[in-house]
Amino acid sequence: MMSSIHPVEYRERHTVPGDVREGIREIWTYRELLYQLTMRDIRLRYKQAIMGFGWALFMPVLVVLAGLIVRGIIAQASGQPLVGAGLAGVAVKAVAWAFFVGAVGFANTSLIGNASLVSKVFFPREVLPLAAVLAQGFDTLIGAVALLIVLPLLGVGVGWGLLWIAPLAGLLFVLTVALGLLLACGNLFFRDVKYIVQVLLTFGIFFTPVVFDAAMAGPRYAPVVMLNPLAPVLEGLRLAVVQGHNLLQPLHVTEGARLVEIWSPWYLVWSGTVGAFGLVLSLTLFRRLQTLFAEWV
Amino acid sequence: MTGKPGAGIVVEGLWKKFRKGERHDSLRDLLPSLARRAVGARRDPMELHARDFWALRDVSLTIGPGQALGIIGHNGAGKSTLLKLITRVLRPTLGRCVVRGRIGALIELAAGFHPDLTGRENVHLQGAIMGMPTAAIRRSFDDIVGFAGIEDFIDTPVKRYSSGMNARLGFAIAVHLDPDVLIIDEVLSVGDLAFQERAFARMQELARSGIPVAVVSHQLERIATLSTHAILLRRGAVVCAGSPSECIRAYVAGEREAVQASAHTIPGLHLDELTLDETTVRSGARRVLTLRGVQEGAVERRDFGFGLKVRRLETGQVVSTIWTHRQGLHLGGAGRFAIRFDLQFNLPPGVCSVETVVLDARTEEKLGDGPWAHVEVTPGSLFRGQVQLNPIVELDRDPPVPKDQKASS
Repeated sequence: MMSSIHPVEYRERHTVPGDVREGIREIWTYRELLYQLTMRDIRLRYKQAIMGFGWALFMPVLVVLAGLIVRGIIAQASGQPLVGAGLAGVAVKAVAWAFFVGAVGFANTSLIGNASLVSKVFFPREVLPLAAVLAQGFDTLIGAVALLIVLPLLGVGVGWGLLWIAPLAGLLFVLTVALGLLLACGNLFFRDVKYIVQVLLTFGIFFTPVVFDAAMAGPRYAPVVMLNPLAPVLEGLRLAVVQGHNLLQPLHVTEGARLVEIWSPWYLVWSGTVGAFGLVLSLTLFRRLQTLFAEWV
Repeated sequence: MTGKPGAGIVVEGLWKKFRKGERHDSLRDLLPSLARRAVGARRDPMELHARDFWALRDVSLTIGPGQALGIIGHNGAGKSTLLKLITRVLRPTLGRCVVRGRIGALIELAAGFHPDLTGRENVHLQGAIMGMPTAAIRRSFDDIVGFAGIEDFIDTPVKRYSSGMNARLGFAIAVHLDPDVLIIDEVLSVGDLAFQERAFARMQELARSGIPVAVVSHQLERIATLSTHAILLRRGAVVCAGSPSECIRAYVAGEREAVQASAHTIPGLHLDELTLDETTVRSGARRVLTLRGVQEGAVERRDFGFGLKVRRLETGQVVSTIWTHRQGLHLGGAGRFAIRFDLQFNLPPGVCSVETVVLDARTEEKLGDGPWAHVEVTPGSLFRGQVQLNPIVELDRDPPVPKDQKASS
């Protein structure tokens, strides 16, 4: 029994920890609503769609195909052959990237798309962008299962590296939710956000190592590429799943006479820090502004 | 069954500010104000900027167990705003609004419905939106579907439902909420008559069970039967608080005053006061009301018709309307006229307002409101328990001009 979900007391003093705590507590209280909204978003995607769950694979497959073309061109230019491991790396990152793009896209319009709910019924508004992210998570799960079937065909074996999927997926989730909350909130006040985000998500693939690997940028620019908080997640997934690398260890390759660093555990620390700060920031902001949502949506 | 002890609503000195006009006009103001909120600072809430207005001014009320508060007022008086503040959708500019217990809000009953989902899927979704635990929804699922009367369509997408089915399903979910505090906003008029009666009976049952209730409706007679006390809102302020009949009377009187100001603006027609041979009448006895006026020789020839509405102020309900053109009465051209309405006041005791409306007798299009009067019905042995006015309507062309009117016309 959900007891007393409406102890209506307005706090005049706001502290960041207080806001975050309250946000999490309210989301927990309304977890059944979160579940129902997630189910709604999942159901709606496959209603009246002939391809049904096939759509969950559509986006990652397209990204992989794009990666195949790009890698093919690079292979032609550099004279090095395109190997299965390279393709497997693109496939792993494509699934994660498709999750990010889809989830941020849906979360972005989750508040304005449910304007009638926001302006008429009380519930913690965080559940709307969260449900959008979770529904995309379901799609990604289908994609991930399909990927696990395909990977052995590309010569990727089962190893301990697969255990890294869980923490990396968690980190990706945190980054996505942080951005999703922020954008949903921004969009509610300024519709401009919607257009900016569409453009950024389209071109984001050029600034994120999805079809290319960060190391391809060269020893000088690879760390710059890794500054993108998503890059450590994607590269980490590739190294752990495809190469079975333990991400707590740095990884170097010799390129001619020089030793080039491909991976450093500090990348993960950086990405995790951005994720944690981002989530606290967006939860706090969301909490403080959501009393205005019903009037502005 | 009694309500949860201690459940109730306490509203203290509630103020709510809104802004008129397009939102993006004030984008320049929005950014700084968002920034202030984000860092947790707030400007003086009582400051009123350009285009700001008070949707609610200093509203205080308490609703405890066993109490049902009727909230009445014109459109835009602040009724829905008040309910939204109570249900926490909006946040007060100033003041306190405390609700103890779980709120069941019968507002926008189908707000969470998605047209592509089936009735079954929507019941679970809408139930969760209204704050019902999943287990409770599952438990009362059959009852909900039965109450809505849509057993055969429960696995059909809601977009194929009629609007009545849609509303019935929404209402059925809402009444199975089992709340500690109940909020009802203008939902008493969904579905057909039979369903309305069932819905109303269920709401009465909830109200009588002792849980605190706040109800907003334009159907004044519903307010009268459902509430134990009432408030009247006018432009955001409580102008009357007391018994439902007291507030309804004040509301109807205020409405007539507003109408009065805009009366006599029908082109080609001038109406005098509605006169009455005596302002009190024993229940069941007859009285004559006379509507005098002049039809001017207008360019456009119009056939005016008149309606005489008898409204009980106790309940706000119009008990009967008499239409002159349906009684075969036609003014038939320019000139002075007097229409005599000889009515038997077969009504329960209480004050009635008798209101006139003007319409086009051919198209039945309403042209405006005419004068009105109050009649007090006193207890009498002649009342037969059934409202029946047995009207006799007569038209007098070119009647003698009343003495006090001579100077002006």
